[in-house]
Amino acid sequence: MKLLLPPPLTDPPTEQTFRQDFMLLVKNQLRVSWNKMRHRPVGALIGMVVVLFGLIAIVGSLGYFAYGALQTMPPQTVQGFLSLLFMVGLGGQIFFGITAAFAALYMSDDLELLFMAPVPIKVVFAVKSLSVIGSNLLTALLFAFLPGVFYGLLFQAGASYYFLVLLVGLGLWAIGTAVAELINLLVMRIVPPHRSKEAIGFIGAIAGILIAILFQIPNMLINREEEFNLGAWLSGQEQFLSVMDFFPWGWGAQALVAGISGSFLEGLGWSILILFMGVFLFMLAFNLVERGFRRGFISLSQGEGGRRRKKPATIVSGETDRQKKNTYLVFKEEAVGSASPWLGMWAVAKKDLLAMKRDTREWFGYMVPLIIMLFFVGQHLFLNVQSSNNTLIAVLIMYTIMFSGNMALQSFGREGESDWLLNSVPLAGWPVVWGKLVAAILPTLVLMEALLVGTALAIGVSLTLIAALAFGAVLLSLGSSAIGLFYSINNCRYNPDTPQQRISPGASLIMYIVNLFFILFLALGLTYLFLPDELVVILREIPPVSFEGGFLSGIIYGLYLLSRPLLWADSLRILLGIIVTAGVWSIMFFGFMAATVRQSRKGFRVEIVTGKKTRKTAK
Amino acid sequence: MEHVLIKTHQLTKRYGSVSVVKGLNMEVKSGEIFGFLGPNGAGKTTTIKMLTGLLDPSEGEAYICGYDISRQPTQAKAMMAYVPDQPKLYGKLSAREFLHLVAALYRVPKNVMKERGEQLLAMFGLQNRGDELLEGYSHGMRQKVVLASALIHQPKVILLDEPTVGLDPASARLLKDVLQEMARQGVAVFVSTHILEIAERMCHRVAILKEGQLIAQGSPEELRQKAGHGGESLEDIFLELTGGNENAELIRSLEEG
Repeated sequence: MKLLLPPPLTDPPTEQTFRQDFMLLVKNQLRVSWNKMRHRPVGALIGMVVVLFGLIAIVGSLGYFAYGALQTMPPQTVQGFLSLLFMVGLGGQIFFGITAAFAALYMSDDLELLFMAPVPIKVVFAVKSLSVIGSNLLTALLFAFLPGVFYGLLFQAGASYYFLVLLVGLGLWAIGTAVAELINLLVMRIVPPHRSKEAIGFIGAIAGILIAILFQIPNMLINREEEFNLGAWLSGQEQFLSVMDFFPWGWGAQALVAGISGSFLEGLGWSILILFMGVFLFMLAFNLVERGFRRGFISLSQGEGGRRRKKPATIVSGETDRQKKNTYLVFKEEAVGSASPWLGMWAVAKKDLLAMKRDTREWFGYMVPLIIMLFFVGQHLFLNVQSSNNTLIAVLIMYTIMFSGNMALQSFGREGESDWLLNSVPLAGWPVVWGKLVAAILPTLVLMEALLVGTALAIGVSLTLIAALAFGAVLLSLGSSAIGLFYSINNCRYNPDTPQQRISPGASLIMYIVNLFFILFLALGLTYLFLPDELVVILREIPPVSFEGGFLSGIIYGLYLLSRPLLWADSLRILLGIIVTAGVWSIMFFGFMAATVRQSRKGFRVEIVTGKKTRKTAK
Repeated sequence: MEHVLIKTHQLTKRYGSVSVVKGLNMEVKSGEIFGFLGPNGAGKTTTIKMLTGLLDPSEGEAYICGYDISRQPTQAKAMMAYVPDQPKLYGKLSAREFLHLVAALYRVPKNVMKERGEQLLAMFGLQNRGDELLEGYSHGMRQKVVLASALIHQPKVILLDEPTVGLDPASARLLKDVLQEMARQGVAVFVSTHILEIAERMCHRVAILKEGQLIAQGSPEELRQKAGHGGESLEDIFLELTGGNENAELIRSLEEG
């Protein structure tokens, strides 16, 4: 084949200006974002719209609450309220900014390409910084710009006031982003490169938990509507609020209050101060981080930084050949028959346990539900929310089941691109499945039992009941994990971009529904065992029901039949209770385990997901 | 006239107290295809990353077309192209869009960019799939896109890290033809590879790296003669040189030669 290639360059082309290079990279970034949006599946777009509506609803409810509270507050209290909002906003910007900065500055796939291109590093850094600023836009809008706008609308402020809002908002936005970038730089310096992804993931998880708690706020406010008065609470925190005046969020609040009160120049002074602070911090971050930008990428690419390789033992010349021969002989001598499959089962469990221990991102799976549960417990213990101890225990047991199922759901997806290994070793069947069960259940049980027993002790449940609860939790976890494993082996997936996403959303939902039925049937057996007196009183008053055809009548008649054993003699009822409870548990546990073992023998596949493209690995 | 286009002087990379590349001195001239060989972990990719400016050397210098990669990175990068072993591309760009981006980054005029982009897509058999997103491409197709993007700005130096991985035989042959044509036009081609047959058939000179040190350098024929194994293949010489400490004497004889 005749090739016609253009002759090589003789001199480098003329350099472009900073602006030209910057615009080129920004245009490229926009094209990538546009393509991403254009090729997103319809389902994902609908999901985004739903989340957006949810967000608007929460912001709306919080805004309504804040708007109402503002009307009743004296100016001094309003200032404190705004300070609080700005402070929360800055906190949010810093938390989200750290992960966004890490992703944009060190983890982008395009960095190698951009560092290789004849474009100054400053331009690359400027474009990446822009995406960090952009990622903080929503937080800045919600917690820096909108409070100011609402405050102005409430007091019918003039146009000049909104100029102050703009300056304050921009200042807070710049401060939040700059501090996030600086903390990120610090993390990159302190944490060894091979663990920095985990460190940033950890910060991201904390941010996620904060959001989860934030979503609980409207619920808390509704629960406490009659007894909680934000204005009154703020009025009692004078000392705390006066300290806020020394910080940028306090300056922002002072600027807006001055603007509303007609002291525009005073407001302008505070606004310029906060903007100046923002610009100063941003420039500082820009210069400091830019210097470490390429180094950070390099140290992450090197990966091993911080660890020292072990030096190989010095080999005396001429020994190598002898050593090789010896090794060969040793291998021959050690050829023995196959070991027990239990060893294989434990090897599978140990592999998973080590993976969980060594990757802190695995811990988030435990942290998020645990912290949400702690939130419930805290709400129960300290806020006197109207709920009985039994309800709390029921919630904890429910969580134990869902949590166990959820952890088991991750099991087979954890294999990722290495699924060939468990499919090719002569262990398929029960050693693999039981190994997975042990790994899924051990850490879960330790955590859940500790929480369940701890809570039961804290709220004063009898020791006998605590022992029963602990034993029950073990059985429930086993049953639930068996269900989780079955759905995991049949629906596992792996996305290299989000390695913690290991199951298809549909399978996850079905697993939760099956788990609900599991709880429902178990509850029936337990009701036969431990007779609830209140229910018996009601049952005695119900007239006989007969089947008259149709779905509804069938349901009512079925429930009626199921309730009859509650009126039987104790010995019969307890015997039936034991049969139903043990039967339901055994059918669910052994049934799902057997189905999982069967699938393991056939071979499992981990679906590889990259963007919208999916690839199935060979069976 | 043969110009030295790639030059390293005492190029060293250390991670902590461990030296990965130790005082590397090499020169690659215009029109030369230079094979860079070595066992796994010898320091080949680290060396390439220092040559391309993706890693800072701990000591020593690297020059591309006379420009110091640490002090004049923009000029040096404008003259070269790099083909990594694992091509990381924008998954959400099409091959055509990606080529245009690279051309713009290397300041290729717009009219030339479009024409050359189409020619390169056609050359690598990607013209019909040029508008598909890169995330849908196989490894081999991505490798072809990276190769096309490496050629679009007429580099004077091209560095390739395991370029044949993932390529089908026809594409590997095409790559070989392209590199030979580039060398004929005066480009310095630096290829790191494990496939010794490629090095033997294609490279004018080869260097063998072991534990960060250059243990042999020369044409395949020269290496055979120095090692005193006239009829043996490059693979045999490579295995002997990188096999173990018992070959220390042989390495010394080659270095002295």
